[in-house]
Amino acid sequence: MKKPNQTTMILLAGALTLALLIAFGAFFTWWSLASPRKTCLSCHEMQTNYDNWADSYHRDINCKSCHGGALSNGWHSMLENGRRVVGHFSGNSRPELAMQEEQILRILPRCKGCHEAEYADWQAGGHSVTYADIYLDATHNHTEQPHNDCMRCHGMFFSGNIAEIVTPVNNQGPWRFVDAEKAEQPVIPCLACHHIHRPGQPAQAPDYAEPQMIASTRPARLVNVEFYVRSEKTHFAAADLPALKLWEGARPVQVSDDVRQRVCSQCHAPDAWHQAGTSDDRTPRGVHEGLSCLACHAPHKHETAQSCGNCHPALSNCGLDVKVMDTTFRDPASKNNIHFAKCADCHKDGRTSTRKAG
Amino acid sequence: MANKHVNAVIVGAGAGGGIMAKELSTAGLSVVLFERGKKQDFNDIDHDELWSQRMFTLGCGYGPDNERYRRVVVDSNGSSRVVLPNTWAYSNNAACVGGGTLSYGAMAWRFMPQDFKLRSIYGSVAGSVLEDWPISYDDLEPFYEKAEWEIGVSGDDSRNPYAPPRNKPQPMPPFAYNREGQIMDKAAKSLGYHPFPIPMLRNSVPYNGRPACIRMRTCVGYACPVNAKCGTQNTVIPIALATGLCELRTDSQVSKIILDNRGLAKGVEYFDENDMLQRQTADIVVLSASATETARLLLNSKSALFPNGAGNNNDRVGRTLQGHAYTGAYGLFKEEVYDDVGPGACIAVCDFNHGNPGLIGGGLLANEFIRMPYQFSSIRPQGAAGWGKEHKEFQRSYFKRHIAVHGPVQELPVYESRVEVDPVVKDHWGIPVVRLSGHRHENDIVVAKFLADRAEAWLRQAGAVKTWQSLPGRDVSGSQHQAGTCRMGNDPKTSVTNKFGQMHEIDNLFVADGSLHVSNGGFNPVLTIMALSYWVAAFINKEWQGTKFRS
Amino acid sequence: MTVNDISRRRFIGQTAAGLGVVSLLGCSAHFSHWRFFTEEEAKLVEAITGQIIPADDDPGAIEAGVVFYIDKQLVGPLAAYQADYRRGLPLLQHTCRKMFGKTFLELKWEEQTTVLKALESGNVDQQEWGEQSPQRFFSLLRDHTMQGFYGSPRHGGNRNYISYKMLDLDMPYIIGQNRYRQS
Repeated sequence: MKKPNQTTMILLAGALTLALLIAFGAFFTWWSLASPRKTCLSCHEMQTNYDNWADSYHRDINCKSCHGGALSNGWHSMLENGRRVVGHFSGNSRPELAMQEEQILRILPRCKGCHEAEYADWQAGGHSVTYADIYLDATHNHTEQPHNDCMRCHGMFFSGNIAEIVTPVNNQGPWRFVDAEKAEQPVIPCLACHHIHRPGQPAQAPDYAEPQMIASTRPARLVNVEFYVRSEKTHFAAADLPALKLWEGARPVQVSDDVRQRVCSQCHAPDAWHQAGTSDDRTPRGVHEGLSCLACHAPHKHETAQSCGNCHPALSNCGLDVKVMDTTFRDPASKNNIHFAKCADCHKDGRTSTRKAG
Repeated sequence: MANKHVNAVIVGAGAGGGIMAKELSTAGLSVVLFERGKKQDFNDIDHDELWSQRMFTLGCGYGPDNERYRRVVVDSNGSSRVVLPNTWAYSNNAACVGGGTLSYGAMAWRFMPQDFKLRSIYGSVAGSVLEDWPISYDDLEPFYEKAEWEIGVSGDDSRNPYAPPRNKPQPMPPFAYNREGQIMDKAAKSLGYHPFPIPMLRNSVPYNGRPACIRMRTCVGYACPVNAKCGTQNTVIPIALATGLCELRTDSQVSKIILDNRGLAKGVEYFDENDMLQRQTADIVVLSASATETARLLLNSKSALFPNGAGNNNDRVGRTLQGHAYTGAYGLFKEEVYDDVGPGACIAVCDFNHGNPGLIGGGLLANEFIRMPYQFSSIRPQGAAGWGKEHKEFQRSYFKRHIAVHGPVQELPVYESRVEVDPVVKDHWGIPVVRLSGHRHENDIVVAKFLADRAEAWLRQAGAVKTWQSLPGRDVSGSQHQAGTCRMGNDPKTSVTNKFGQMHEIDNLFVADGSLHVSNGGFNPVLTIMALSYWVAAFINKEWQGTKFRS
Repeated sequence: MTVNDISRRRFIGQTAAGLGVVSLLGCSAHFSHWRFFTEEEAKLVEAITGQIIPADDDPGAIEAGVVFYIDKQLVGPLAAYQADYRRGLPLLQHTCRKMFGKTFLELKWEEQTTVLKALESGNVDQQEWGEQSPQRFFSLLRDHTMQGFYGSPRHGGNRNYISYKMLDLDMPYIIGQNRYRQS
């Protein structure tokens, strides 16, 4: 058989490469612009996620703007998708679709794009803590070594076990991250308490044609917090979370029926006996019993500045000057701790204090 | 590439093997610790009842898996069937680093002095091969203590008048009772029983650098999310690995003990994580693979000198398989007795372990670990609806209004109850599988009834408005408390090892797990397995100093 | 073998993978919510689960989505029971017709209960059932329904842990971490 000429071969190969590049470019452009029905949904495994999104209050936000395009999620994502295709054709049962932590974290800037104020508040508050804040806390780790249960509230999207986050897993230290990149990542990202595909109507711009009607026509704000339950790998709507039952000794404590507080109780929880004030419980008792966490704590920032004044304004009959009161809420031993201060703590014998404010 | 020769091979990284690895490697021996399973932890099944080692409805979350393992069970009518690991008939023990100790309920019982002398106390019993142990409680006492302090036990034996004598208290204080425990404590005392908190291999206070228990509902059958449960995987195995002398080889199914023509063990053959057959030679081989798998390994290791399996020329390997005939009662209450403080089991009595008039042996009674919702759906008095509206109503009314009291009957060893290898059925690697046959002794059923009556009386005293018993059958025993298949003894004709766990017929082959138990006590056996492993290890280390085994 | 050979093989492999993607585009037409059941089987099994755990003041097996649990597990850990369902469901329908002249879904609530009780007690047309044990099939249905209702929602049933809510059992747990006095 006659061998083909080498020049012909090179030309042929070049032409083929060029054709492939053009074809790929065209395909990619189409893929990046086409509707999710044509692209994402070409894997029918996506159907449920698509349906949820199409029903959600974020339905106007395109898939790509949060999840990235075909190539922008990097090798990891392409490999993952490749595995799914192979699994599909080798007859494996449908795997559950779930995002990796790195994909979750990549969404955060997109959240910020629209919810800038909330994002800034979150960053300013305690819930933007990082892996370094939590897992390298020597005071904590010396008293209690890091363990898997930490991830229930800190790093709930991390897919591995504790030994894959921090090493050594003991109470001696010194501790360091297995993957140094973890240090600066947030452990309670937006998605910890918000389910982006939660059903709901997209926000509507107020009708400025009739400014006096804006307040009355605006739809009531829904309870829009959920909690990502690590063990079930899914969000639970606040209303689907258990309501806290709490005791002070044998006395049942009245707990606010604000369903949003159920999200707080998931992490700021008492011990197994549900005794008030144990573990991380801060449920109000005493004079503030029955109040919701959110009566004082602002969403996202969770600060309480000025909140006392909401109920105890300077010009009121109660005579309390909250600006000068000792509200040492951080100190669990303080009788003035506003989480559990009782009337009798200050008013011995049932009498009004003689101490003058100011 | 051939594996480097080591001083000791240990088969099985559970209660016995983990301790053995630590004892030998800290004494300077090079060790390979084989485990057929993987390193696992809480994340693998977290609180999932259907994958827990308690229910294993969909599979055994901590192994072994249904894909590669199977066994044959011979029923009382002589017919045999193939069973998978996630069935009770399989007699499953977890397959992962730590073995059962990763996910167990962690009761930390010492056997009583009487439990080592059943033959002397109760005499010869027809239908049983009852024997005294070749060692006494006093021999084992220092090793119980070592297990309690090195692995970690919470308890206070001074509150149990039947507790055996001890030199040192348990290292951690006992656990506080949950609501159920408080109710049962009062009732027991008014009946004249002597209740006390169950000793547990679980931290009641921070211990050994690990935190205290947070009292979750899901505990028995699950790994601990805060690492407060003490197993070999978070205590002795890390110490062994830190010596640099111990290599933990997971995903390795040991198939055979290599025997030479002088009747000595030369090492083992095993299938590695890629299912490739490998060899690991050693000066000493220690089997800690559980009563069923240790026996299977011996029976599968044939040579010219041992045509019926290693050390089995007297047909004793695999015989006298024992477990525990679990007995007890349930009670329904008007008021809620459930306060969601785990793991549930917290109070016990030892009033009925021995000295029961006219009876041989006995067992402890304790309130039971929390029954999760699916498990509870099968707990019903006789005649109650198994489904439909009425069943749902019962579930709703009584989940928080019922208490279970259960206990393990000390079984009488039966010669015919045994582990063999099946002539036909093989596992994933082509290794002949375990074949279980035999039955429980009739006395076990009599004792079970006696204990169930006591449990029922206890529940009624506590205020139960309805009670019923749950009694064991006579099917072959085993299960998670499996024991007795390589009994220790002084007579080589009627036992498999000497009193140091050394095979009578093979000097450098040892057993260190529940197989050694001559009888299995009326107690959960794990602390005894641990103490025995320390005991056997002490002997090996002593002999090693005398260079006896060095090749 | 030369380097060129290897790269050519790799190229062929990649082309094949590409074709796979293209053919994947075509398979969305066959999308079904069910992994194992046919649409009709699913309806039937759903109705049976509703009998085994009916709704009352609290949701029952249908509301909990138990049929999704069974469907999902039958192509997973419970695959060994596929044949039982494929054979048992038509036999159950046969028993319905024999007893009431209708299919299960056409029966009144009480009649459905009667049919299931007949299976449970083995009181059915033995000739038709032949080798199949109606008791065994019923106990499978019963057990799988209980698992789907009381097990974890991650397996397809017990939507939002509704059975735990019925039992007044917190899930997820409300349990804080240990706090030690830090000096």
